[in-house]
Amino acid sequence: MKKKDSHINPPQWPWKILKWFLNKDYLEELQGDLEEIYFDELEHYSESKAKRRYLVGALKLLRPSLTKKYFKSQKLNHIAMLQHNISIAFRGFRRHKISFIINLIGLSSGLAASILILLWVNDERSVDAFHEKDSQLYQVMTHFQLTDQLVTWDYTSGRMGESMLEDFPEVEEAVRIGNGTFKPSGVITYDNANYETKGIFASNNFFEVLSYDLILGDSKDVLNGKTGIVLSETNAMRIFGTNEAAIGKTLELDTRFFNKELVVTGVYQSPPTNATLQFDFAVNYQLLIDRDRWANEWNGGYAENYIVLKEGTDVKAFNEKIANYMDDKVNNEKFTVFVQKYSDYYLNGKYESGQLVGGRIASVKLFTLVAILILVIACINFMNLSTAQASKKMKEIGVKKAIGAQKSALIFQFLTESIIISFLALGVSLLMVNLLLPQFNLLTSKSITFNLIDQLRRLTLLSVAVGIIAGSYPAFYLSGFRPIQVLKGKFSNIKGEEFIRKGLVILQFSLSIIFMIGVIVINQQIEFTQKQNLGYDRNHIVTFESKGLDTEKLLAFVAELKEIPGIESAGNMAGAFLWGDDSGSGYWTPENPEGRNHLYKSPKMGYNVIETMGLELIEGRTFDKKFNDNENRIILNEAAVKYLGLENPAGTIINYGASNNREVIGVVADFQYGSMHQAIEPMVIRFREWGRECIVKLVPGAEIETLERIETLYEEFHPKYAFEASYLNDDYLALYDAEQKESVLSNYMAGVAIIISCLGLFGLAAFTAERRTKEIGIRKILGASQQTIISLLSGSFTKTVLISCLIAIPLGYIFAEEWLQNFAYAIELSWWIFALAGISCLLIAWLTMGVQVIKAAKLNPVESLRAE
Amino acid sequence: MKKTKLGEFEELVLMTVIVLQEEAFGVEIKRELENRLNESLSVGSVQSALKRMEEKGFLTSEWGEATQKRGGKRKRIYSATPYAEQVLREMKDIRTQLWEAMPIPVSSNS
Repeated sequence: MKKKDSHINPPQWPWKILKWFLNKDYLEELQGDLEEIYFDELEHYSESKAKRRYLVGALKLLRPSLTKKYFKSQKLNHIAMLQHNISIAFRGFRRHKISFIINLIGLSSGLAASILILLWVNDERSVDAFHEKDSQLYQVMTHFQLTDQLVTWDYTSGRMGESMLEDFPEVEEAVRIGNGTFKPSGVITYDNANYETKGIFASNNFFEVLSYDLILGDSKDVLNGKTGIVLSETNAMRIFGTNEAAIGKTLELDTRFFNKELVVTGVYQSPPTNATLQFDFAVNYQLLIDRDRWANEWNGGYAENYIVLKEGTDVKAFNEKIANYMDDKVNNEKFTVFVQKYSDYYLNGKYESGQLVGGRIASVKLFTLVAILILVIACINFMNLSTAQASKKMKEIGVKKAIGAQKSALIFQFLTESIIISFLALGVSLLMVNLLLPQFNLLTSKSITFNLIDQLRRLTLLSVAVGIIAGSYPAFYLSGFRPIQVLKGKFSNIKGEEFIRKGLVILQFSLSIIFMIGVIVINQQIEFTQKQNLGYDRNHIVTFESKGLDTEKLLAFVAELKEIPGIESAGNMAGAFLWGDDSGSGYWTPENPEGRNHLYKSPKMGYNVIETMGLELIEGRTFDKKFNDNENRIILNEAAVKYLGLENPAGTIINYGASNNREVIGVVADFQYGSMHQAIEPMVIRFREWGRECIVKLVPGAEIETLERIETLYEEFHPKYAFEASYLNDDYLALYDAEQKESVLSNYMAGVAIIISCLGLFGLAAFTAERRTKEIGIRKILGASQQTIISLLSGSFTKTVLISCLIAIPLGYIFAEEWLQNFAYAIELSWWIFALAGISCLLIAWLTMGVQVIKAAKLNPVESLRAE
Repeated sequence: MKKTKLGEFEELVLMTVIVLQEEAFGVEIKRELENRLNESLSVGSVQSALKRMEEKGFLTSEWGEATQKRGGKRKRIYSATPYAEQVLREMKDIRTQLWEAMPIPVSSNS
């Protein structure tokens, strides 16, 4: 409710600004009037229209008779001054076209880049925050103590929520859904047509508590029965054509948990794109319990539990209270229960040893910083160009001051100018943002929309801030000239001015070089992950999932797969090969009894997977039908052999759990399991005949025909399902999706930063060349060669860029090291990365200046000296 | 007449204040005038007319009650001074005289 109210209330921010201008005595009355009208209009118009009219009304309050009294005596004066300033500003833009355009392009591309980034940041922050009870909605999590590490899970027992509701007065409501592994996905059959679909098991108050709004059906009872199913709008439209037609219809749902006829009891709005939980249907959690009683046991972590805490609950105290909640339920002290705010989990979801260490928030912070830095670079451009023009403005300032202009009036003038530019740049950047947004969405796989009205306030603030920051230095600097000296033609303080201007250029280029180092390092690391030998061959390998078959049929399918011409080898395993997280514990030897509690990586493979993947067998044999292998036989990797301290691993029996054994039949060479974010760890390859993940190695050359044959066979065995295969190589690339995106984004951002810096340099070079025209003319007459002039002009800029390198390289090194910490296997930061960044910056700078410098050096001295 | 300049819009606002009696506060005046003139006005234009007239001594005002709808802000109720009524009457007289002095075709035209 609270959220809704604040939504409908008229915005208060205009008053914060109007307060400065309006007569204090009238404020309350005027505000009251506008609000009353606003609420009246809400009844006739849409909220946005009423808001718009409210804002226009507020703007129209700025009339002479309503503004402050002391303003009144000088009012005409002020308005005239403003008009004067504006016309001077525009005249200035017209006269100095080049620097105006450079400023405009620089500021607007800087603004556009930062607006895009800020939109992205906003969108990231909005994820999962749309629930009405967002401020009270928490997810129950747990740390679990293994011997040598503390792991954190977002899934807990199916009984957790309800039990907490009974035991703790702070808990108002509890919702559970099946966790990631326990989600019913399968096929809906209706009217002889099949539809693949993914859903959730949810407790019956799911729609009541969470804000997945029902279009049809009552949130209290849509999930009450075990025969009901609630469809998403997308799903209902797809199957039935309309939402209404879906209600009351019986359909057949076939999943790996059950095959049942269900009645559609409701339709909900498909989850928004900023929801992490995406599901096409929901059925009662009880269906999962019926299939698997562990779903409702303290020892089974089958559920994700969400609880609503009473308003004002002290979460820290609550967490202390529930920390040992599991102890007497499972008779051990390995669990530490805690809650985390549901909408925080998306950004802060990474735990190490029980401590929150960040997560996506890291990229959010990184890119926010990048956005700010780009803006800084753009502002510096403006500062540089305006101070560089100071000499041109000297006379104007001198005359004004002599007539009696106050320093504050001059400051006001320059700030007006910079704010005007900044607003013009905002206009241009909004156009750019609109043009680039579709591309940007593609890049970041988001669907961000840009609503000008919603962002108006922030954008106005942003451009005023940019205007003031960019304009402040020139404003204070220029307005400080002493009129007599200025009019005499003496340009005092030139050293200080040069110094500051150079400092700013150094800052700009340092930032650009740091960006460039970042880009090179990220790209290198991604290339490294692609090229690195992973210990298996991921070329020509295709994987797909067999769905809905029993073990016997599955094995027949895999057997027939192997017969297809064009297939070199085929196998099946449980869980994707690249999953990287399948793990188990319990294996130990007398040499290392502690191994029992170690969490081993342990993929579950069938026959022929090791051969298909090209894993290197070092000792013993692989799983083989001839030997009638079963779950008691395992294969280790080298790391596990070392960890368990085995001398002659092949054939050894090792202990499993309290009283069981496992026979080691072979050893494979270490290979990268999952992505390179993980180190290679001790691995126990378990044997499972029934894995549904099929892995096929194709004979190169005839892939398309072979894939078609596989598809025909697949459809024969799986009439209800579509054949969806993917190349292992693509899947492997997808593991680095976040980094890929970071890399592309940072490429663009670095590009923008460098372009803006160069624009500034270009402007400065043009200006210097112009100011030194006469000097160059005299030098040439006295016999200086073109080369001398060129090196004279470019020398100081070269020095500037070199100093930037000195500053940027150590900083860049630190940042790069920090980023590479994310990977278990990372590139070495070699010297050439930094050299490349520095040299390319220098080259770009030279290219930028080159045209100007050469033009100046070539100028005929007669031309340049004739002028006076 | 000289120093009591009353603009056309001000005159309309002033008369509305008298018509509305104790209901004469900003929004209500605006609403009444909008209905009568059949055009929309901004709060700013009505309020600035009120403030100008208050300064010239045509109006006095005092705080009224606050309502929920106004977000708890008080109204300001305006009332015309006797002087204002006198000026209005004078203006009406002048107009009447002028109308009567006009040749007939003009009046039949309207």
